[in-house]
Amino acid sequence: MATRSEAVYPVGWKSGRVASWLVTVDHKRIGIMYIATSIFFFALGGLLAILMRAQLAGPGEHFLTKNSYNEVMTMHGTTMVFLVVVPIMAGFGNFLVPLMIGARDMAFPRLNALSYWLFLLGGIVLWLSWFAKGGAAHAGWWSYPTLSEAMPWASPGHGQDYWILAIHILTLSSILGAINFIVTIHHMRTPGMTWMRMPLFVWAMETYSILLVLAMPAISAAVTLLLLDRQAGTHFFIPGHGGSLLLYQHMFWFFGHPEVYIMVLPAFGMISEILPVFSRKPIFGYKAVAFSTLAIAFFSMLVWAHHMFTTGMGIGLDGFFMISSMVIAVPTGIKIFNWLATMWRGNLIFDSPLLFSLGFLALFTFGGLTGIFLAAFPVDWQLNDSYFIVAHFHYVAFGGIVFALFGGLYYWWPKMFGRMLDERLAKWNFWLMFIGFNMTFLPMHMLGLLGMPRRVYTYHHGGLWAIYNGISTAGGVLTAIGVAVFVANIWITHVLRKGARVGNDPWLADTLEWYTTSPPPPHNFDSVPYVTSARPLRDLRRRLAEEAT
Amino acid sequence: MRRKLSTFVIAVLVALATAGVAAATNGGLTPVQPESPNASHTVTAYWVIVGFTAVIFFLVEGLLVAFIWKYRSRGRGRDVEGPQVHGHSRLEVIWTVIPVLILSAIAVVVFFQLPKIDAAPASAHPIHITVEGHQFYWQFDYPNKTRSINTLYVPVGAVVDLKVVATDVIHSWWIPALGGKIQAIPGRVNHTWFMAEKAGAYEGQCAELCGVYHASMTARVVAESQAAYDAYIGAQAAATIGKQEWSGVCATCHGNLGQGGYGPNIATNATVVQVTGLTAILRNGFDGPTGAMPPVGDTWNSTQIKALVAYVKKNVYKAAPVGGTTP
Repeated sequence: MATRSEAVYPVGWKSGRVASWLVTVDHKRIGIMYIATSIFFFALGGLLAILMRAQLAGPGEHFLTKNSYNEVMTMHGTTMVFLVVVPIMAGFGNFLVPLMIGARDMAFPRLNALSYWLFLLGGIVLWLSWFAKGGAAHAGWWSYPTLSEAMPWASPGHGQDYWILAIHILTLSSILGAINFIVTIHHMRTPGMTWMRMPLFVWAMETYSILLVLAMPAISAAVTLLLLDRQAGTHFFIPGHGGSLLLYQHMFWFFGHPEVYIMVLPAFGMISEILPVFSRKPIFGYKAVAFSTLAIAFFSMLVWAHHMFTTGMGIGLDGFFMISSMVIAVPTGIKIFNWLATMWRGNLIFDSPLLFSLGFLALFTFGGLTGIFLAAFPVDWQLNDSYFIVAHFHYVAFGGIVFALFGGLYYWWPKMFGRMLDERLAKWNFWLMFIGFNMTFLPMHMLGLLGMPRRVYTYHHGGLWAIYNGISTAGGVLTAIGVAVFVANIWITHVLRKGARVGNDPWLADTLEWYTTSPPPPHNFDSVPYVTSARPLRDLRRRLAEEAT
Repeated sequence: MRRKLSTFVIAVLVALATAGVAAATNGGLTPVQPESPNASHTVTAYWVIVGFTAVIFFLVEGLLVAFIWKYRSRGRGRDVEGPQVHGHSRLEVIWTVIPVLILSAIAVVVFFQLPKIDAAPASAHPIHITVEGHQFYWQFDYPNKTRSINTLYVPVGAVVDLKVVATDVIHSWWIPALGGKIQAIPGRVNHTWFMAEKAGAYEGQCAELCGVYHASMTARVVAESQAAYDAYIGAQAAATIGKQEWSGVCATCHGNLGQGGYGPNIATNATVVQVTGLTAILRNGFDGPTGAMPPVGDTWNSTQIKALVAYVKKNVYKAAPVGGTTP
């Protein structure tokens, strides 16, 4: 064994402190790089959000120009979706999936490294769009043509081209990563780990990967056609020459809605890991939770046009997409009730991972319920493209996904780095974010109902519009402070080395990643226990306790 | 524990303050006061969904809070386990079936309300008006071929059928009090309708990102008596079209006096009072060193353009001093 581990990091420049990260094919290091890069982009995207909230704090402000507002809005959305949530899930998956299934590494370690570096490249290309001739992309994160076409009054210059190139690179990164996850999960599970003994987070990553493979080609195709229109003189989306604008909307949302579940299913997976551990109970209804993940994924491919109810598709299609969208609420409801039942009669230990998970449950439920208003298409005609939508998807994407992510970060941080983040600061982080989040996004529902459309750089109504926008901006600042507390926590834990060192399994958890050391060695495990249930570590603890008596 | 309590109290106070503001003015908890049957039935459907979802909301959040309180650790160690319950098939079937029933009920209500939202009353003889979305204004074509810009005049109580189109980018027609949105998509024809039940002016604005002045693309529907409407489309519309074009289209970018803003100063540019040159720019747009102008007048007829030139000549244009600089 000794000779082998020397071979992994041979002498020379490759073993340097920085160089060893640059050339690494270790899934754990790649996972950490994914997560770190995503957090960096989260900070950038959050900064853009604060700029927008500053501009909208009061009526008729001039903090941003109308041009730069559209750029900031477009870059915020694109960054948060493509450079934060999707890759950070890949990061968690990278770090956790091989550990959870007792594997040595991902199936294709070099491909894995390529996925990461493509992600970083895509992020850089997207952000270079600020320096493009004509400014950054400014047609919204959907980039609907004709506004995203090259006409002088639409999106001339190269910001939009950078956006397209970035999407191409990121799509490639995601698909390669997804194939890697699928092969790893199918072929590298440790002996005894049947599908029904797999951690629910691994189920979520399996589903995430399948959806990526199915959905990503649609947006690749859409932006390729857009690029051809812009650079090669085709007319796919130019109506005057026979093109169709609805075609782009269909292609975009055929990707766009599964994308929502690509982002949220791994978050569900994290909740399904954290809740049982901090309730000191098994997950309630393992099979129901696992299969509802698959059901959500299946139906998520059938609901895309509920983003298009106001395009005049006709009542038949509207009705179909309303029903299919409502069907998705059923497996989602199954998850929520199973999570609640997991807490029932538990021994709830309010460490930060549980706090964030409970925040997730509270906020995601609300975001899910407002989704029913939008599925009901005649009501959607009133609410669509208003601030109600902005509120709805932030309750899902921030209240749901980001809260779960913070829960996951606090939960797996000791495994990744061997030190515990400070719990007091973690609680400040949670409460600031929880209050700040609700202040930011709850009033947006009302703004939408009052008639404020999304994506406007200013408004001229005083009264309630001004009050709600003001509250929203104040909440945004509070949320930002909450995130800053998290960064401070990392600083204190690692740079000031205040974080307590931890053993293999500080939370008394259930899954295999807690069997190895914190942080794990490059080869992950010296040996892996034979898996006889979905909670191998609890089995092990019980065996040890029995042997001791 | 005290810190937790104080944060909780702050959260509750913030929530109450927000709810208080909203309740005091009834602002923002329901769509704006509907003034058209389609909008009214939308609000009905909205409240039915509020009813169903509120039940689920209070059930889930109530259980969550109750469980948090009831099953909190109270100093029990991490090694103390709860009962190792792995599931309960009957319970799980119940919380699968009940949402199915609730969602079915919502769908039934939606389909029940739908005809009254989607279709105008069958007996009515609608007034057909074409709404054309442009960067960054709305243009309305009345049945007698007259036009108005940004303000649509209709008779109170008449069913108005709107044919919604666009020529440049996608826009979205939305007057909240008069019903939902419909996108104005280049290359497609969409329809919506409303029937203003009370005289008054109803405000709205474009709901689909359409470019830099998306936020300024406002629309107003003025519902007035049949006589006033007839008078408007009979003569007033044509008489004021030049002014409407200037203030609703040109002034957005070039300023009320043509002094420049997002677009360049055109108050002293002779092209604005020259029909041929102006027509070319309005119909085809303009792409120059100072920026690009969309073809804002690509559907304008020559009468309209002449009216604009006449208005600009009288009110905006300031001829540059002849003979070069004077000391």
